Amino acid sequence: MPKFKFEYKITLAYLLIGSLWIIFSDKFLITIIDDIDFLTDVQTYKGWFYVLITALLFFLFLKRHLKDLRTTKKELENHKNNLQNLVLEKTKDLDAAFEQLEKKNKEINLKNQELEKTLTELKEAESHLLQAEKMASIGILTAGIAHEINNPLNYILGGLTGLQQYFEEEKIENEKVTLFTGSIETGIERVNAIVSGLNKLSRNKEAFDEECDVHDIIDNCLNIIGNRLKNGISVSRHFAKDLPVVKGNVGQLHQVFLNILVNASQAIPDKGKIEITTKNEKDAIFIEVKDNGCGIEQGDLKKVTDPFFTTKEPGEGTGLGLAITYNIIEEHKGRLEFESEVDKGTTVRIELPKS
Amino acid sequence: MIKPKILYVDDEPLNLMLFRANLSKKYEILTAESGITGLEIIRNTCDICAVISDMRMPYMDGIEFIKASARIKPNISYYILSGFDISDEIQEALDSMLIRKYFRKPFNLKEIDKEIDCPEQSN
Ligand SMILES: Nc1ncnc2c1ncn2[C@@H]1O[C@H](COP(=O)(O)OP(=O)(O)OP(=O)(O)O)[C@@H](O)[C@H]1O
Ligand SMILES: [Mg+2]
Repeated sequence: MPKFKFEYKITLAYLLIGSLWIIFSDKFLITIIDDIDFLTDVQTYKGWFYVLITALLFFLFLKRHLKDLRTTKKELENHKNNLQNLVLEKTKDLDAAFEQLEKKNKEINLKNQELEKTLTELKEAESHLLQAEKMASIGILTAGIAHEINNPLNYILGGLTGLQQYFEEEKIENEKVTLFTGSIETGIERVNAIVSGLNKLSRNKEAFDEECDVHDIIDNCLNIIGNRLKNGISVSRHFAKDLPVVKGNVGQLHQVFLNILVNASQAIPDKGKIEITTKNEKDAIFIEVKDNGCGIEQGDLKKVTDPFFTTKEPGEGTGLGLAITYNIIEEHKGRLEFESEVDKGTTVRIELPKS
Repeated sequence: MIKPKILYVDDEPLNLMLFRANLSKKYEILTAESGITGLEIIRNTCDICAVISDMRMPYMDGIEFIKASARIKPNISYYILSGFDISDEIQEALDSMLIRKYFRKPFNLKEIDKEIDCPEQSN
């Protein structure tokens, strides 16, 4: 049996009941009432009665249904509002989350940049450390070698002193003896210079809290090597006006500038210039020594601070100058850099921290 | 004339021999191959004018020896010899006047002779 919807059913029921009511009530009234006028009246009342009853029924029925509908509607609206609120809240939450994410993203980006910086710094530190380590192990080794060489050297010197005394006492004096003892003496001096250089290279700590006036030190060094500078070399100084003193070891810094200035003058064949510039910057002072000498081959640039690296004639250079210089600058927590072009010249740059 | 007495302590016999050979004209040289024998000589000999000691020696280094010796004979002049550059320890000994001077090896005997202030005594 097909299911009818409620409205169909009730309309059908109404039609049926109404028709039945009209048919049967009329028939019934006809059988009990003979008077036509009275019958008409009763039929009118019956009509009114029917209308009233159905109106009442309709009213009750509609009331119940509409009430249901209204509550449902209200509930729905409530629901809708709730939903809307919920959505709003969720959206807000999402916005906050999004904002946070964006912040996090920015942070990560920053961190990334920092990491990258740290990485380059680390890489620099590593090469620095490698160099320092190389120097440290060389230092230990050379200190040992220096000590071991000193003892036999002592025998030679003692023996020579004895011989010279003996010759003197026996009044043996001839050219050959002076030549031989003289050459032994020169030999000893040469070895001694090397060993003392090695010793300086491996020197253990000294005071690094002296006030160092770099301008004073440079001027001193220029005075010291003044007569060793060839006539054709001009020296110009471009000193910063407000260069502060730095903490360090005055003696060692003298050694640094002596080494560098001597190297510069040795690089100039006969005519040239040496420019010394100092700069005062935020955390450090900078000293540049620039010469227009022979320059350094690209491949040698990394080796100049290696102990015993030298391109000079035997006897003229031990190759320890810049190794010692590097060590001293390192101990001052500074930096030593070289820039050079063959036949154009060399610039040595030193950075010394202010504190 | 009596020659002034000098004690030289070094663990290298050749150094001792050369020292003696070169300076025995002017001084009476006493030598010891270790701080221990050095201390014994200090205890048993009077009128030692100067003591020169090598720094690096087995068992007892130069500074240790000189410290012990100075407790027995504080009036002697002490000197140290070292194959290394000056160290903190030696610097300290210089500052506290425990030693008068530090000589670096190889040492020039003439320089030592000049430094040592031991007049010949007439008797
Ligand atoms: N200003 C410069 N111009 C050209 N070459 C240089 C300069 N400074 C250094 N060099 C090169 O670096 C090498 C090493 O220098 P370093 O000072 O260490 O030793 P050296 O000068 O050869 O010997 P030493 O300093 O012991 O007398 C030099 O032999 C030279 O080849
Ligand atoms: Mg040099």
